[in-house]
Amino acid sequence: MAVKTGRGFAAIEYPTGMNQNGDPSQAWIKVKPDGRIDVFAGTSDIGNGSKTIQSQIVAETIGVPYEWITYDNSNTDSSPVCTGTFASRATFVAGKAAEKAAENVRQKILEIAGKELEIDPADLEIIDGEVIAKGAPQKKISVPDVAAAATWTYGELITGTGAQLKPFATIVEPATGKVDLPPHSAISYASCSAEVEVDDETGVVTVKRLWQCYDVGKSINPTLVEGQIEGGAVQGLGLGVLENCYPYYPSVEHRGSSFGSYLAPGMEDLPQIDTIIIENPSADGPYGAKGIGEMANNAQPPAIASAVFDAVGVWVTELPITPERVLRALQAKAEPARDGKTVVFDAALSVNTVSTGITFGAAA
Amino acid sequence: MKAVGARVPRYDGVAHVTGHTMFVDDLKIPGALWAKAFRSPVHNAGMSNLDTSKAEAMPGVHVITWNDVPLLEYGHLSALGIPADEPLLAKDEVRYLGQPIAIVAAPSEEAAMAAVAAITADFDERPALFDVRKAFDADAPQIHAEGNWYRHFEDEMDRRQIRKGNIDEAFDKADLIVQGVYRPAAIEHAPIETQVCQVVPEANGRLTIYSCTQALYFSMGVVAAHLQLPLNKLKVVGGTVGGGFGGKVDTATETLCALLAQKSGKPVRWRWTREEEFLCSSTRAPWHMEIADAVTKDGWILGRKMLTLHDSGAYARFSPYGLTKHSFHHTGAYSIPNLEFDGYVVYTNRTPTTAMRGFGVTSVSFATETHMSRIALELGIDPYELRLKNANRVGDTSPNQIAYTDPSTVPTILAIADAVGHDLTPEYKAMTPGPRSGALLPEHLVGQLGNPEDH
Amino acid sequence: MNLTVNGVATSVESAPLTSLLDVLREELGITSPKAGCEQGGCGACTVLVDGEARRSCLTPVAAVDGAAITTVEGLGSPEHLAPIQQAFTHHYAAQCGFCTSGMMMAAQAYLDDGGNDDHEAIQDALGGHVCRCTGYVKIIDAVAAAARGESFDLSVTAAGTSMTNLGGVS
Repeated sequence: MAVKTGRGFAAIEYPTGMNQNGDPSQAWIKVKPDGRIDVFAGTSDIGNGSKTIQSQIVAETIGVPYEWITYDNSNTDSSPVCTGTFASRATFVAGKAAEKAAENVRQKILEIAGKELEIDPADLEIIDGEVIAKGAPQKKISVPDVAAAATWTYGELITGTGAQLKPFATIVEPATGKVDLPPHSAISYASCSAEVEVDDETGVVTVKRLWQCYDVGKSINPTLVEGQIEGGAVQGLGLGVLENCYPYYPSVEHRGSSFGSYLAPGMEDLPQIDTIIIENPSADGPYGAKGIGEMANNAQPPAIASAVFDAVGVWVTELPITPERVLRALQAKAEPARDGKTVVFDAALSVNTVSTGITFGAAA
Repeated sequence: MKAVGARVPRYDGVAHVTGHTMFVDDLKIPGALWAKAFRSPVHNAGMSNLDTSKAEAMPGVHVITWNDVPLLEYGHLSALGIPADEPLLAKDEVRYLGQPIAIVAAPSEEAAMAAVAAITADFDERPALFDVRKAFDADAPQIHAEGNWYRHFEDEMDRRQIRKGNIDEAFDKADLIVQGVYRPAAIEHAPIETQVCQVVPEANGRLTIYSCTQALYFSMGVVAAHLQLPLNKLKVVGGTVGGGFGGKVDTATETLCALLAQKSGKPVRWRWTREEEFLCSSTRAPWHMEIADAVTKDGWILGRKMLTLHDSGAYARFSPYGLTKHSFHHTGAYSIPNLEFDGYVVYTNRTPTTAMRGFGVTSVSFATETHMSRIALELGIDPYELRLKNANRVGDTSPNQIAYTDPSTVPTILAIADAVGHDLTPEYKAMTPGPRSGALLPEHLVGQLGNPEDH
Repeated sequence: MNLTVNGVATSVESAPLTSLLDVLREELGITSPKAGCEQGGCGACTVLVDGEARRSCLTPVAAVDGAAITTVEGLGSPEHLAPIQQAFTHHYAAQCGFCTSGMMMAAQAYLDDGGNDDHEAIQDALGGHVCRCTGYVKIIDAVAAAARGESFDLSVTAAGTSMTNLGGVS
């Protein structure tokens, strides 16, 4: 008849980009006569902020203010291929294509500026919308003037294209899973400690606090990274303790059909979330970035499950960890089966108990 | 750096807070017809006598069935070798409750609902299968054309298999074997914007598809394949999505609305109800995972056996891809040199499952991390130290034999230990992800080292 | 029927049992309130009816005949953002933006009622709104900041209050 507190920990990893790669993204950029930059990419922004991230990457790479960027991802007539916004690839893969296109544009701007200034483009750099001679800042020309010169003096359209594609990693030995190339663009890492309160009379699990650490390679936009982490934490909480399409899985009965009967997390479920970011740059991502979008909801469920054990001494390894499951586990007080050096948890759930066509285990 | 690393406001931030952001349903297309679906009321059945005539007789109503689809079955990931198995609209059988059979377009939402109500079919129900564990039983109902599990991994294998090192030796040498079962649930993406699209037939024969897809080109490819059209006959407009989380890649509405737009010559609009979204949209997959780890009393994970049953629902969709990704990450953040992994994509008579945030790895992280916590308790070892010891380091190799170049497991664990005030011995606090040596390189890990320079 | 919508007297042609949501979106072309569920469960359709936050998906237009309706379009404009709109922008309280209109209207009603920056009070007032993207943290931060009457630098977004960046750590 008490509320018990417990803590649990989980450390995870997650790949960036489609598994086995082979997922292209492309971008193309044109420069308007006054130096403003138009970016065309096919990446859908599903709320993750890819329009913003790619604009930042382009602005940084060319060397112009962020406000000069117009970003158009609106349709397949003007935008080139992007495989899609999934697999945590929008920043790494699509952002890399944007970076490459921007680098092309930067080179062309320097070329034309070089002609105007009569300086070798290799001795020029672009800072804040101005092309400046390295070490001789009085020799400069604005990017708008370069664009005007391109349009009306040289008869050139300043564009740049970029495509990012990591070659497909083939499974060369299907019997072992061996691949010939890394099957990802990068790997991100995270750890999470969860603190829960479990009411041993009602079975209710309340997630009180989450400490999380994410290696994102590089925070292109720290606020957007926070947004992914916070949103992911709450979805992870939902996966861990609240949500289930099939409350009596594997039965399909009583499937919720509204927000009243399907328990998506609400504000009242919000724990205190403390987050640490580390930035170990990826080798090939734009500015060292790695993916974050999906990993953000992976560490909470196991950390919560371990915390529940710490609190009330029962393992619930079917998600979500509902009050009913906690109470049944407390009632059953199941101990794992011990036989010699083997300890077997959850025997009632195993194929060894339920199935007649497949087995698993140390003896299998 | 000026732009990168800066907290610049969202590109579309002001538009979001002023109601200016245009989502698909915010676009007003004059004369657009409303679409609704006639869906299977049963889990598994033969279907006959599909009769849409009364609906088609209603004023302004157009109906499409399987017969109107130029290419009825198209595997969305056929480029990855996953063959087509799912008809766009059911033909002579239904395999899940809610499966679309006919789609109507009508001048109003009410008229569309009335048209759907006027469609009839006969269903000859068959035993259904819902429990992936029972799929392998000799007397299990066979619910998919090719049996109860997918059979087209490379070399036509019927499972995703990972093998590394010598698993029998690992289990022999272990001081302890820890075994457990992990079952995360199907959950909904539940974005606040439901599935929605509008398709406009243009005067020049093109179709403009206003879509909530997460993947403009991917969805365009799906529509083009079903309709047998070259890509320039389609224009997909979108890129601004009211939440997706992996549920808006399936291209659930676009192809059907495109067919109706072609057939009717009018714009067609289909916005799923929230009820439809909850009951008929594809979900995160439920997974059944069993792990047996061979461990030493000083906390080394010598080997792992694992069985995964991936509940794919009625059709394969992206499940073979998700299971493959899952298998590549079944060792989690740790270097486990001896492996025996078997995974199956198993069919059940529920809504086909699809990608959701973390596809394939969310499940494996839940299983392996909960399992690690149990191992720590059984061995009487600190749960952070158990993980730090086995954590991937530079030069360790993955399940599929790729060397890690820059793993960050160690620093993230240390950062959290510090943040929550979890005491570690000086030896553990000083750990880095650098290549293994000395006490961190026991004999059983020597053979699994690879060269990070290779990649 | 007649409504005053964002200060403009408007006559309504739709049938009396048409939801206020459909009247706004389909007849009047005011698209900021969203059809998130049409079950009253998500809050994305929330508008103010005579100053009170109401779920327009559950409100038949006949029930509000003669009322003053306020939507996001009536709160402010890109050139003149209302404090709650500025707060949401500066605190990054909108990711996909689909729940944002309803969330802000409910927040506006809370502020108009004298709501303060207490997080629990804000959660009480807005708890019936579902957001799937943000995890709610920055929504609550935004409403609290607006309640405090803060002024907002819209050229930058606010750092989260419990985030630490350790930079490169190996």
